[in-house]
Amino acid sequence: MTIEFKPIEGRSRAFYVLTFVLAALVLAGACATWLMHQHGLYLSGMNNRIPWGLPIVMAVFYIGLSAGSLVISSLYGVFGKLEYKPFARVATFMALLLMMGGLLSILSDQGRLDRVLVEPFLHFNPLSMLSINPFLYSSYIVICTVYLCVLMIGNEKWTKRLALVAVLWAILVHSGTGAIFGFVPRELYKSPLLPPSFIAAALSSGTALMILIVLALFRLTKRPLEPKPILWIGRLLAVFIVVVVYFVFIENAHRYYLIESRATERYFLFGGFHSVLFWMGMIFVGAIVPATILFMRKTGDSIPWVAAAAVMVVAGVFCERYLIVLPGLSHPPDLIPGWRIVESAAEEGIVSYCPSFYELLQALGVVALIGLAFIWGLKLLKLLPIHGQSV
Amino acid sequence: MHRRRFLKASAVLSAGAAGAYALPLLTSFKSSAETTRAPSTKLRWGMVIDLTRCPDNCTACVDACKKENNVNTSGDKLRDIHRIRKVTLESTLSAAPARKSVPLLCNHCDNPPCAVACPIKATTKREDGIVIVDPHRCMGCRYCMIACPYNARHFNFRENPEQPNPAYPKRQHGVAESCNLCAHLLDQGKRPACVDACANVNAQALTVGDLNDPNSEISTLIRNHPVKRLREDLGTEPKVFYIGL
Repeated sequence: MTIEFKPIEGRSRAFYVLTFVLAALVLAGACATWLMHQHGLYLSGMNNRIPWGLPIVMAVFYIGLSAGSLVISSLYGVFGKLEYKPFARVATFMALLLMMGGLLSILSDQGRLDRVLVEPFLHFNPLSMLSINPFLYSSYIVICTVYLCVLMIGNEKWTKRLALVAVLWAILVHSGTGAIFGFVPRELYKSPLLPPSFIAAALSSGTALMILIVLALFRLTKRPLEPKPILWIGRLLAVFIVVVVYFVFIENAHRYYLIESRATERYFLFGGFHSVLFWMGMIFVGAIVPATILFMRKTGDSIPWVAAAAVMVVAGVFCERYLIVLPGLSHPPDLIPGWRIVESAAEEGIVSYCPSFYELLQALGVVALIGLAFIWGLKLLKLLPIHGQSV
Repeated sequence: MHRRRFLKASAVLSAGAAGAYALPLLTSFKSSAETTRAPSTKLRWGMVIDLTRCPDNCTACVDACKKENNVNTSGDKLRDIHRIRKVTLESTLSAAPARKSVPLLCNHCDNPPCAVACPIKATTKREDGIVIVDPHRCMGCRYCMIACPYNARHFNFRENPEQPNPAYPKRQHGVAESCNLCAHLLDQGKRPACVDACANVNAQALTVGDLNDPNSEISTLIRNHPVKRLREDLGTEPKVFYIGL
């Protein structure tokens, strides 16, 4: 009944080349971050009208992925599905790393890095969503670590308990992250639906990522894998996609239906580059195509098709995260209803955002750091089973 | 045996972590209650801007503000700091639109969304109603800029190399910035730089004063004129009042 877990060898040339490349990217990201904070954030693509850009998009993307990974692990931990026991450790490890990546993205985006690790502990504001969330994130990291340890030790009773705690805490974490945006008086931000829709998108992107990671790992390490559990996760993913589309539809229909927000909603749906991301990236590539693939018997039962659908879902949710953060900022608030501003020393109209070279390097650095920690985790810890069967 | 010891250790660790988390929580509730208290009967600063007296092409207030508060502008419309800025408005309603020149600044809301958003209470509302950023505490998360519905918040994207007014502290880059009604001058019994400059060019469009004093100049102005505040529908209770908007 026991499953044997074995670290990957990690002696191949490819492993060391990958390590070297990732380490170089981490270093480049660290340098870019250091430069931005030495000289000022004018080196980023952000400005007074768009104070949040790529680092926050990446952070919410990671945080979402983290929850989805944990769901895969909870299939065993909470629901007792033994066929997912082989993936529980690697899924929890990934959830842990992704949350750390999210937190790191937020921390490195601050204007004064010298105060980031001091001030939040000295002056906590219980009303601020941005104050509550880092505490949720760091406690989530602690819970995931303890949960992973218990999984590794193999204590069934405590695995069940901690899995439940971790999943409940993940729901809290994601509602909180949605609230950072949903609870702000900006026309395209404020929405009570944002926390639940954030969870839905988190679940779909996270399960999709886990499908890809499990498939890639078992193939690369040449360990046998039964397709059935993966295909079942594919079905689950299809349901998650439908839930996301439902939330997105309700939210946008509501904004369009009410006259007070119709002009802004029109900007969101047909107002520029982000609208292309919405229709093409999020709706077509991120939802319609993968849902069709996963629901159709023929393609839904084929591993390559499911993998392709998973790639599309991850890309679609990335677009969704971009669309949460940016259009709400680039669209100007109506400062004086009945009047439009024709002249000003500051920019008062629609603003565009393009991440700078430094920001891209910084984002790549965090991706590389997660990757580096992941492959070395696989090498040093017993995370991966020798085969994908539960018995 | 191993397992039990491990679980015990992790229980102790998590209890310790919980304690560490609770510590700032305990202290924070007290002070947050202070800032959200109803306006006192004491001093409560506010401003009246009489647009009928504000000349179209005059930027005396803006220039004085930059000088007083060591703000440097380079013409970068997206990254320059504008504690106060003048905008020209055009009506969306009539066929031949009337134009208006309007100074915009921090509204020093009684319910400031920026202070609620600030994760470390670097932005607070003072007892006398002034919303102020502590540049020595702000860590530059920029959530206040996201929360402010008036675009009144700016960010120090770069440092100002010059410091024409040595009396005002120099800000490092990476912190948020907004009008603080020249609190350092008000505290000395002087007028804010913009109000002073406006009076000096004989426009007298700007008036600052105590909203809680029924006999103050500002209270009289508000009583005797129809006044408007920006986006009152948001419930932020701005303390900058416009005559003739």
